[in-house]
Amino acid sequence: MVQVNGWLAPKYLLWLWHGFGITLGLAATVALSATALGLVLAMMRRARWSWLRWLAASYVLVFRNSPLLVQLLFWYFGVATLLPETAMTWLNAAHTLSIGPVTLGWPSFEFVAGWFGLTCYSTAFIGEEFRAGLRGVPGGQYHAAAALGLGPFTAMRYVILPQALRIALPPLFGQYMNIVKNSSLTMAIGLAELSYASRQVDTETFKTFQAFGAATVLYIATIALIEVALAVFQHRGARMSHRS
Amino acid sequence: MPLSVLLDNLPYLLLGPFPHGPLGGAALTVVLALSSAILSAFLGLIGGIALALTRGWAHVVLLATIGFFRAIPVLMLIFWTFFLLPMLLHINVPGLATVVCALALIGGAYLSHAVHAGVIAVGTGQSQAALSLGLTRGQALRYVVLPQAVRIMAPSFVNQWVSLVKDTSLAYIVGVPELSFLANQVNSRLMVYPVQIFLLVALIYLILCTALDWCAMRLLSRHAYRSTTDKTRPDLPIAPAIETI
Repeated sequence: MVQVNGWLAPKYLLWLWHGFGITLGLAATVALSATALGLVLAMMRRARWSWLRWLAASYVLVFRNSPLLVQLLFWYFGVATLLPETAMTWLNAAHTLSIGPVTLGWPSFEFVAGWFGLTCYSTAFIGEEFRAGLRGVPGGQYHAAAALGLGPFTAMRYVILPQALRIALPPLFGQYMNIVKNSSLTMAIGLAELSYASRQVDTETFKTFQAFGAATVLYIATIALIEVALAVFQHRGARMSHRS
Repeated sequence: MPLSVLLDNLPYLLLGPFPHGPLGGAALTVVLALSSAILSAFLGLIGGIALALTRGWAHVVLLATIGFFRAIPVLMLIFWTFFLLPMLLHINVPGLATVVCALALIGGAYLSHAVHAGVIAVGTGQSQAALSLGLTRGQALRYVVLPQAVRIMAPSFVNQWVSLVKDTSLAYIVGVPELSFLANQVNSRLMVYPVQIFLLVALIYLILCTALDWCAMRLLSRHAYRSTTDKTRPDLPIAPAIETI
C-alpha cells in the first residue's frame, strides 16, 4: 500500500529529474515556436485581405475550442497514418546535428508530436494576446509614424510592436506558464516527462506522496520562476523607458 | 468505407453503452462539465468573497492556497485527488468524483480572482451607501454588491466553463469513460482510421464549446441590453474604434 515514510531512492529521483528536464525542454521549444507563429497569426488577423483574416480567425476558433488532449492524440496517432512511409522512418530514425562542440540528438517521435501539438494549440492563445496588445496601441501612433515618413513595415517594427509587446507581456508570460502546465498532457502519448515519471515512480515504489509531491514542487517552482522573470522584465522595461 | 464506420460508432461515442449499461461518451462529458461548473462557481464565489473580506495573514494564506491551485497542472491535481480522496475518506471514491473535485478546485481558484475583481470594480461607494442605509456587511454584499459584481464577472465565468469542458477530457487518464476515453477505445479497436475518429471527436468538442460560448454571450448581451435601457442616465460614450493599417 501507500508508504508515507522514507524518501525516494536516488535512482527514482534521477527518473524525476530526467522527466523534469524533458518538461523544461519541451516547454522552452514550444514557447519559442508558438511566440513566433503567434506573432504571424496576430498579423494575419489584421491583414488587408479578408480571406486571410477569416483563415486566422477560424484557426483560433478550432484550436482554442477543442481539447489539447484530443489534438495531441490526433497528431500522434493520426499523422503516423497520413505521412508517407519514408517521412515516418526519417522521423523515427536517429539524427544528429553538430554545431561546433555541441551535438544535438534528434528527439523521439513522441517529443516531436508533443512539440507540434502543443505549438499548434499555444499559437492560438499567444496570437490572441498579441492581437490584444496591438489593439491597445492608440491609433494616433500609426499616424505619427506615417507623418515621420515611416513605411508600414518600419512603423510596425519600430513604433507599434515595441508598445504592443509591453502591453502583451504579462498575459504572454501567463501563456508560458500554461505551456509548462499543459506539457503534462504529453504523458498521454507516452512522452516520459515529469508527470509520466512521477506516475512511474509511484507504481514502482508505492511512495505516492513523495513521487507526486516532488513533481508538484518542481512544477510550482517553474511557474514561480516565470513569475519572477516577468517581474524582472517589467522592472527593466520601466527603468529603460524612464531613462530614454 | 470510413464514413459508415464512423456513423456506426457515433452513438457509442455520444452515449457510451447507455441504454444497456452506464452512461458514457459525450453525455458523460456534459455531466462532468456541468457538475464541475456548478461546484467551481460555488467555490469561486466563496473564495472571491473571502478575498474581499479578509485582511492580514488570513488574506495571505488564502492567496497562497488559490495560487497553489492556479500553478499546479490539472493532470497533477487529478493524480492527487485520485489517490488522496480514497485515503482520507476511507471509502472507494469513483474516478468520476475525483475528476469533478480536481476540476472544481482549479476552476474555483481562477474564479475566486474574477469574483474578487468584480467586487472591487463595483466600488467601495456602493457598499458604504448600503452600510449607511443600515444593512449589515453580509446584507450589503448579498443585496447590493454581488448583484452588480455578477454582471461584471460573467464573461470570466463563461471562459472558465468553456475551458472546463475541454479539461474534462483529462478524465481519460484515470479511466473515466467520457468522450476522449471512448475515442481512444474505438481507435484501438479499429486501428486504421485514427485521423477520422479524432477529427470527429474534436468536432463534437468544438460544437459543445462553441455552442456554450455563443449561447452564454448572447444571453449576457441581451441581459446587458435590457439593463442599459432601464437606466435613466445616458450611456457612456463608446470608445472610438482603433484603426488598422
